[in-house]
Amino acid sequence: MILLNDISQTVLIILSIGLLISTLEYLKKVQIFSPNGLLSWNVMQLKWTKQNEKSFFKPLFKLFSAPGLAALFIIRCLLIIGLLFFPLQSTTGWVLISLLGVSLLMASLVTYYGSDGSDQMSMLIIITLILCNLPAFTTGKLRDIGIWFIGLQACLSYTVAGIAKLVSAEWRSGTAIKDVFSTKTYGSKKASLLLQKYPSANRFLCWNVIVMETIFPLCLILPWQYAIVFLIWGFIFHFFTALIMGLNSFFWAFMATYPAIYFINHQMPWHLF
Amino acid sequence: MMLKLNPIVIYELVVTIFLAFWFLSTILCQFKETKISSFIRYKIDYFNLIPLWTFFAPHPGKRDYHLLYRDRITDIDYSDWQEMEITEERTIWSWLWNPEKRDKKILSDVVQSLVSSIPSYREKAGSLNLLMFSMPYIIVLHAVSQYKKQSQNCYRQFMLAESSGYQKETAPSLILLSVFHQI
Repeated sequence: MILLNDISQTVLIILSIGLLISTLEYLKKVQIFSPNGLLSWNVMQLKWTKQNEKSFFKPLFKLFSAPGLAALFIIRCLLIIGLLFFPLQSTTGWVLISLLGVSLLMASLVTYYGSDGSDQMSMLIIITLILCNLPAFTTGKLRDIGIWFIGLQACLSYTVAGIAKLVSAEWRSGTAIKDVFSTKTYGSKKASLLLQKYPSANRFLCWNVIVMETIFPLCLILPWQYAIVFLIWGFIFHFFTALIMGLNSFFWAFMATYPAIYFINHQMPWHLF
Repeated sequence: MMLKLNPIVIYELVVTIFLAFWFLSTILCQFKETKISSFIRYKIDYFNLIPLWTFFAPHPGKRDYHLLYRDRITDIDYSDWQEMEITEERTIWSWLWNPEKRDKKILSDVVQSLVSSIPSYREKAGSLNLLMFSMPYIIVLHAVSQYKKQSQNCYRQFMLAESSGYQKETAPSLILLSVFHQI
């Protein structure tokens, strides 16, 4: 039986919810991999033009049809469900997460158009958990290093996003969010109209995102009662990007990193004495 | 004090170095494209493991892309332009369950990749003829060629356009008009 008092296990459980939803979404849309689909392997294989790449990945190519990928996604769902019953530190748990990692890596060869930052964060977490929980080779120290890696990558992601916005004139002028919300791709008519009506709200939101993302790594070193403000902000931020922009998988992928941030924060010297 | 090397210590060391390299590579591959970041992204990172964390910045995606196609019926007669649905209104459950985002994201990535490569093709080759051999162009052509043909021996043309979504401040504009392709 799994226990949530282990940080790595908590990270995995939160991530698993998002991965299960994302895999079921791919299953629903599996026709995109059919010969008539957007990611038809007839076209996608043109990416592998070099002979050495072709021969290296060729054994996998037969899998990249709609039925092959549907089977892969069903197996992935079963692996994720299996991880609810076997702890990460058990041999069975490690085998399950390793197979899950292999399925993610295989699918990434055909989904390089259409994948997003949440897919990359999910892959990053799964590979780290596989490497840092290898039975018989893993020490508590290595597990901690893995958690540090996940927490630091999460903080890097926010800071990079914040700095990239800070150097952007469109973000600084406070029009960026209104402009994004006004697109049909990532926006919402209601949110767009609301922000057009209240330009000051638009400016506040832009600067709120710039400042909070840029200084997000402070949550690693601030005393916990202040650090938690950043995590609450992150929760609200990701919830609303899921609600307004439809970026549902980002919510789970980034929430999964928060236990790692909590762990790092509580390893800071002022929490030890 | 000497570190006693045993398989566990060696494994710990190898994984730690690997994670450190991964973290450093991630930092190097943000913001500006350099020789090192290009090498990491295009020569090493087959599985797309090096993320780009600059979400919606520096240029927030403030345009909607439109993909349209038409058929040549005779030398002087063409069908009406048909729009391929790339964007779709979200449902109230999209915050939890949003399979439609995949189609949208794929086409959006492909179109953006095509749009961003146009200047370099113009600069290097002087014309856009070579663009027809690029991966995103072929994906778009493949996507539009799946729709019902006007005749057996069909020639199809596609057009990429952009608009400002729900805002009607600016008129839609043309990005790319393809030649007619036999499909």
